[in-house]
Amino acid sequence: MSKTGKGPGKGDKIVKLTRLFTAAGFAALLLSGTAYADPVKLTLWHMEQPPHRVQRMQELLDEFNKGHPDIEVRQEPQSWGEVYAKAPAAFAAGNGPDLLFTIPDFTTVLKKIDAVVPVDDLAKDLDAKHGFVPATIAPYKYDDHVWAIPAYNMAISLWYRNSALKNAGIEVPKTWSEWQAAAEKLGGDGRYGIGLPANKQLYTDQTVYSLMVNSGAADIYKDDGSIDFDKPETVKAYDFYSKLAKLSPADNASWTWGEAEACFASNTCGMILQFSVINTYDTQAEGDAADLGVAAVPHDDGQKESATISYSNAIMLTTKDKAKQDAAKVFLAWLLEPANYGRFLTMEPGLFLPVTNDGAKADSFWSDKVVTKYKPQIETMIANSQNGKLFGFTTGKVFPSIGAISAQNLIAETLQHIVVDGQSAADAVKAGQAKMADIAKK
Amino acid sequence: MKRSWRQATALFGGLAAIAIIIGLPFWWVVTGSIKLPREIIQRQPTMFPHSFTLQHFEKLLQASDFPIYLLNSVIVALFSTAFTVLMALPAAYAFFRMEFPGRNTLYRTILLAYAFPGVVVLIPLYGLFAKVGLIDSPAALVIVNVALALPFSIWMMRSFLATVPREIEEAAVVDGAPTTTILVRILMPLIAPGIASVAIFAFISSWTEYLFASVLIVSDARRTIPVGFAGIIGQYQIDWGLLLAGATAAIVPVVILFALVGRWFVSGLTEGAVK
Amino acid sequence: MKNTTLAFLFVSPALLFLLAVLGWPLVQAVILSFQDVGVIGSEGHFVGLSNYAAVLGGGGFWYAFSRSIVWVLGNAVVQTALALVTALILNQKFPGVQIARTWVILTWIVPTVVVVIIWRWLLSTSGGMINPLLIQAGIVERPVGFFAGRDSAMASLILINSWRWFPFTALMMLAGLTRIPGDLYEAARIDGAGTWQRFRRITWPLLQPTLMVLGVVGTLLSFNVFDVIWLLTAGGPSGGTQTLPVLIYETAFKGYRLSEAATISVLTSILLMGFAFLTTRAMTATEASR
Repeated sequence: MSKTGKGPGKGDKIVKLTRLFTAAGFAALLLSGTAYADPVKLTLWHMEQPPHRVQRMQELLDEFNKGHPDIEVRQEPQSWGEVYAKAPAAFAAGNGPDLLFTIPDFTTVLKKIDAVVPVDDLAKDLDAKHGFVPATIAPYKYDDHVWAIPAYNMAISLWYRNSALKNAGIEVPKTWSEWQAAAEKLGGDGRYGIGLPANKQLYTDQTVYSLMVNSGAADIYKDDGSIDFDKPETVKAYDFYSKLAKLSPADNASWTWGEAEACFASNTCGMILQFSVINTYDTQAEGDAADLGVAAVPHDDGQKESATISYSNAIMLTTKDKAKQDAAKVFLAWLLEPANYGRFLTMEPGLFLPVTNDGAKADSFWSDKVVTKYKPQIETMIANSQNGKLFGFTTGKVFPSIGAISAQNLIAETLQHIVVDGQSAADAVKAGQAKMADIAKK
Repeated sequence: MKRSWRQATALFGGLAAIAIIIGLPFWWVVTGSIKLPREIIQRQPTMFPHSFTLQHFEKLLQASDFPIYLLNSVIVALFSTAFTVLMALPAAYAFFRMEFPGRNTLYRTILLAYAFPGVVVLIPLYGLFAKVGLIDSPAALVIVNVALALPFSIWMMRSFLATVPREIEEAAVVDGAPTTTILVRILMPLIAPGIASVAIFAFISSWTEYLFASVLIVSDARRTIPVGFAGIIGQYQIDWGLLLAGATAAIVPVVILFALVGRWFVSGLTEGAVK
Repeated sequence: MKNTTLAFLFVSPALLFLLAVLGWPLVQAVILSFQDVGVIGSEGHFVGLSNYAAVLGGGGFWYAFSRSIVWVLGNAVVQTALALVTALILNQKFPGVQIARTWVILTWIVPTVVVVIIWRWLLSTSGGMINPLLIQAGIVERPVGFFAGRDSAMASLILINSWRWFPFTALMMLAGLTRIPGDLYEAARIDGAGTWQRFRRITWPLLQPTLMVLGVVGTLLSFNVFDVIWLLTAGGPSGGTQTLPVLIYETAFKGYRLSEAATISVLTSILLMGFAFLTTRAMTATEASR
């Protein structure tokens, strides 16, 4: 039978049939036939679609499958743009994946349709073994369960060129007033001091929120689930963001991550906020490791230290089949073994950060060529990520409406009311609060 | 007849403008795909490439399954085309020539198919396909593409039939030929160029369809070009060189196809039937 | 009557097929619109007309509707103008006319996703070709953000979508033009009619049936354009390009309010059907009178 001709549904049936027969007492006779029969087949959906990541993933899967003849994991790369529509539809139709990569807000959506299986025990075992960075597992711990196993972390930092700062005679900005001064000095002559997005898109949610956490507006929910968005700290962050957005290129209303990186790589933008620019800088720009600067996102002058937004990406268990669940747990445990984990992270070297303590020390991570070259930068990124937060997941309680707030990019939309429609920050934030409250009510 | 110099200027000026509007973006894309990364994103873009590299194409071929996407696209488009033509031709003939109750209402209803946003159909259709096991199957895409192309194809086909002089048909009717014979033996050869246009229309609509293909197809090995291409856009980084190479690779096959059959599309449209 | 049976036999494959693939899902959408389903796959209850009341009473639907009108009209004007000029030029005789007629269609045979990437790159400020060109030509001083304002984003999207579609429309018009008998022009020339008068008195009126169909189908098709808008602006900035299909998609897949999305769909479909019904009736009426 050809490999491709078999859908996940068929594998399902075979497993069910096998168990039925076993239970019916044909065990002795049939087990001899089934024990070496088809391995448990797992379908894994992830959203790391760029070719080189898929390739690295396949290498790891091949290795795992070879070492575990009784399990076969197959990957189906999806894209973030489509998966929000596709995954719920697939689960509703009964042909969803068994393992699914996720970010915190996506988990709340799938949890609502009962597609996610808690992984409390596995999380506990793996934590004891590898030690999860608390900030990476916190967004998946609520309603008395752990809903996903953290896989890699991403946190936003401030990127710049050391030489550019030196030429302008400025230090690395730590506070907002220093930051604004730096952005003004680095601009001019067809260049922009800073490049911040104003698109209605996830990237803008992230950059705006990385300012909000630095003015003391990290929580957007109160403990009782009501929206806590409209407050002076939030207004302050928006106000400052819109000032910096004015110093950014005019096409920032259509930016996603890629445009910001290209702006930085082409030296059109002096500074940008980004998870990582290492890959682009290394392949499309100077690639001079000594000149690439990275620092924590500056904080409001009234705050003491910098914080940032961090995205803990995780893997959910999404099969109700016991045999598949067990097989999936074996796979997840294997993936987080330091010897394998580093190679998993470096499917995009210089972007994905470790979520475990022993992963952060793993040789398989630090021995990567790009990681070695940009070691100081990556160490700074990891340090920044320690103080990472995510909107809607800061209070230890998670409310289902965060899924819709996040998916509709309401934080970015609020910014657009300021920079596109010319509203005051206070008015826009007030309207944003109203819209979020409306969603939370439903 | 001779043109005045003003008419000639207007004509060739207009032609040049159209050529620039249509051609220039393609020139930039194709030349961009062979530039070094730094040249692609530099602040003063170059009209003619200053560097040359095939690295983007190597990357494209090395790690993504572009040839497979291409094959899938071609298979889906060919089947969609065949079914569209097979269904459109008799329907168009019936609407054009045959008398039956509700003819005009039905004809209007068919064009109404375009009155619904595709998104509306997507969700229930997904459920339906899942029930009958058509998710992740090229057949699902063929079904959707035929449904999307069929109404307009029927209209096109009907207007081609209208160009056939009535006398030719009447002569056959007098000779006592049955309707199917008239359609297959007499009309079909006459409107062959028109059928070619309809076929090409159906082919291209299938070739470019993205929304349904993105949701109905799950595995990488069954993706079509638009979905496969969307896949290399990337979430956190954009590799313009890779994208431009992908764009070029997505353009070239249809350009080759059009070099072979393109003139049929136009002559079919403009002549409809052989007179 | 044998002929009637045969006619139904001819029509039914197409009709039944469309009914199954498009009709059945539409019935599902109508059912959904009377329920309160949130995320796809979750349970819903019958809620009567409350979705309709909420959608029609809220501002979102009407604003999206107004943006849709702008979108459709903009596309109609730009595409018709460009296509008509193109069709008239391609209807002339000149060396290479066949090549021009074939390759004019280039923009239409490229997948939308590719069109989107092409323009996202060309209009960007890093590496994009358009801004430096405009600056060199002295039209603007600083790089422009094409998607920075509601109206400029809408205008940019209309131009991009028209860029893709106008050659197709042009060929459809050309098909109509070539069916105008040449002797009509000869007669008019003998009567001493100038270029403009010939256009006014012959070309324009005789092109009407073609323009009518293109107008109706084109309006429906462009009304329902989703991927170009979604992939370029996702309805932004500030809802400036949020047409009804975008609103439907966002409500269903980003807001997780499937029933509300179905309600908007049903309302949209009713509007479009009304439009299509009236215009196609006018169309068949004029056809019949000829």
